[in-house]
Amino acid sequence: MTKPFDSTVRDFLAGRIWLRLHTPFPTETIDKHIESQHIQTIQGIKSQKKFANQVRHFCNRCENDTQSRFTTFDCAKCNGPCTYCRHCIKMGRISTCTELIVWNSEPPVYPLEHALTWGGILTSQQQKASNELIESNNKRLPHLISAVCGAGKTEILFEPIHKLLTQGKRVCLAAPRVDVILELEPRLRTAFPNTAIEALYGGSESTIESAQLILATTHQLYRFRHAFDAIFVDEADAFPYTAEETLRRAVRKAAKPQTPIHYVTATPSEKLLAEMNKTGRVSSINRRYHGHPLPVPRYDTLWNYAKHIRKGRLPAKLVKWIEERLQLQQPFLIFFHTIMLMEEAEPLFKQLDAKICAVHAVHPDRQERVQALRNKEIPGLLTTTILERGITIPNVQVAVVGSEQLTFNKCALVQIGGRVGRSAQFPTGDFVLFHHGITYAMDEAKNEIHRLNKGGVHV
Amino acid sequence: MNECLLCEQIIAFSPSWKGLLGLDRQMNICPNCSKKFKHADIKDEGTILDKITTLYTYNEAMREYLHQFKFLQDVQLAGVFAKELHEHLKGAGTIVPIPMHPEKKIQRTFAHMDELLKSANVSYSNILDKTDTVVMGEKSKEQRLAMKPLFALKPGKTLQSGTYILVDDIYTTGTTLCHAAIVLKEAGATRVEAVTLIRAER
Ligand SMILES: [Zn+2]
Ligand SMILES: [Zn+2]
Ligand SMILES: [Zn+2]
Repeated sequence: MTKPFDSTVRDFLAGRIWLRLHTPFPTETIDKHIESQHIQTIQGIKSQKKFANQVRHFCNRCENDTQSRFTTFDCAKCNGPCTYCRHCIKMGRISTCTELIVWNSEPPVYPLEHALTWGGILTSQQQKASNELIESNNKRLPHLISAVCGAGKTEILFEPIHKLLTQGKRVCLAAPRVDVILELEPRLRTAFPNTAIEALYGGSESTIESAQLILATTHQLYRFRHAFDAIFVDEADAFPYTAEETLRRAVRKAAKPQTPIHYVTATPSEKLLAEMNKTGRVSSINRRYHGHPLPVPRYDTLWNYAKHIRKGRLPAKLVKWIEERLQLQQPFLIFFHTIMLMEEAEPLFKQLDAKICAVHAVHPDRQERVQALRNKEIPGLLTTTILERGITIPNVQVAVVGSEQLTFNKCALVQIGGRVGRSAQFPTGDFVLFHHGITYAMDEAKNEIHRLNKGGVHV
Repeated sequence: MNECLLCEQIIAFSPSWKGLLGLDRQMNICPNCSKKFKHADIKDEGTILDKITTLYTYNEAMREYLHQFKFLQDVQLAGVFAKELHEHLKGAGTIVPIPMHPEKKIQRTFAHMDELLKSANVSYSNILDKTDTVVMGEKSKEQRLAMKPLFALKPGKTLQSGTYILVDDIYTTGTTLCHAAIVLKEAGATRVEAVTLIRAER
C-alpha cells in the first residue's frame, strides 16, 4: 500500500468499528480511504438463510445474535425489507443498508515515555497482587484480583498499566457502570499526567483523538474492534455485565485476538472464580489498605416500613437515624429496593432536610447529585442499588431500608457495606440493615464480612 | 410471552376470556412503562376542524419515546400506542395520516405516522401529498396560514363525502392540521376530525 493516507483518520479509526456515515470527517475523505483500501467496509447486519426459509441475523457492531432484538421493516431508503439491531440502537442505528468501517492499514504508533506520578505506597498485599498481575499479563494469562471493598484496587493496577504503556501498548480500563468510570477518570489522569487518556461513556464528549489509555463503560466497547493489548474490567461482577452475554462478547471483540482480559472485583461470582481458577490466575486481598476491618452490619427491625411510607409517615427509627446524621454532619446513603418506594419516601425525607434527594439508574441528575454529596452541598442521598459500588465518600454512613428484599442479595449487601469506612481518616461508620424479617442473604453477607476480617479468602 | 418494547422486561400475562378468544389486544409495553405516559384526552371543537382529540400529555417519558422512535429510528416502537390508537380510531371514519415529504421519509427510512397506524391495525388512506419542506418554526400564525397550501390531494384522487380523521404525532399550533383539513373539505369531506398523540405546550 503505497498511497498516502490522512493520519488523523487513521488515529481516529484504528481499533474502532464505526458507522460509515457518522464519522467526524467529510464523506469524501472517508470515500477516498475506502478506494485506496486503507479503510475496509463491513455490512452492518449479516443475515444468513438457514433451513426452512429461516433467516438468522447478526449485528456486526455489537455482535448481538438474539433474534428477538432484531426488527425487520419496509425501508424507504433501500426500498425493501431491512433489518436493524435494537440492542445497540442508542449508538446510531445499524441496519441492512448501513455500512460499518474499520481501519485496514498500518496501525498508529504510541509513545513509549509515560510518567507514573502516584505518590502512595502499596501495602505488601497490594504489591503482591500487582506483581502477580504483571506476571500473568506477560504470560498472556487472564488474571482476577479479588479484593475487599476499600483494598485499593485501582492503585494495584497502576504499575501493570504503566508497564504496558511504556511498551507502546494500548490499554483499556472498562467498567459496567458510568459512576465507576467517572470516579476513575480523575485518579488516572493524576497518576498518568503525560498519557493520552480518553473517558468514554453515554453522553461523554466525543473527540477525534486516539488515546492510548481508554476508560470506558463496557457498552462503549461495542464501538471497538481488535483495539487493545490488554483490558482490565473493574467491578467485573456488576450488573449488567454479568447479566449480558453480549457485553462479555463486546469486551472480547474490543481486545486484540489472544490478548488476556483481566478482572478486578470485591465480590466475584462463583462462575467467574471457577473460570479464572481454570484458565487464569487469582490474587486475593482481604485487608483494606488502611488495615482496619470491614464494617459489620447491624440489624434493626423496621416493621411494615412500606405501609408506613405509603401512608405518608416515616418510621420513627429511621427519623431518629437521619436526625443523628444531620446533627453529627455525617454524609449518608439510604438504599431502597425499588424506585417507586424511594420516590414515595423522598418528600417525607425532605421534611427533615429539604436538601435530601434521590437518585436511580435513569435519573437525569444522578451525576450532579452524587457530586453534590461529595462536595458536602447536600447531607445525604436516597438511592437504589445503583450506588452500591464505585463511590467513595469519606465518613459516609449507610442504611438499607428493607434489607430483606430479594434485590439485597449477599453480594449487594457486601458491596453496600463496602461504602463505609473507606478512608484512613474515618475507617469506621454505621452500616445498618433496617428490615422486616432477617433473611439468609443478610446472614450470609455478615458471615462473609466476618470471614474476610479474620483473614479468609473468597471461596 | 413477550418483552416490553421499552424496558425489555417480560410482560406478565394475565389470562382472560377475552384474551383466550383473541379479542383482547396484547399490550406491547409493561404496566410500569405504561404508567409513565399520562393520558390527556383533550377535546377541542372548531370550524375548520370539527373535533381535535389529543391522547397524551408531553412529559419526560413521551420525550424519550419520540426521540427513540423518530430520531434513533426504532421502528419497532410504533407498537407502543397500538392499543390506544386502535381503540380511538377503529370504525371512526376514513383515517388520513399527515404525510411526510418524500425526501424526509427516505432520510428517516420510514413514515412514522404510517407505522403507528399499521401497528394499531387500522386501515388508512394516504390521500395527501406534502407540497414543500418549509420549516414552520418562526413564522406568525397569520403568515403560516397565508402561505401556499402545505398539502395537496394526491393526483387522481377523489373523495367521497363522509367523516375523515387526520392523525399526527404532535399538535403544535394547529396550522398543519388546518391546512390538511381545508384540502379535504374542499374535495368534499363533510366532517374532518383530528387525533394527535400529544399537544406541544407553549
Ligand atoms: Zn447491534
Ligand atoms: Zn434499508
Ligand atoms: Zn417496560
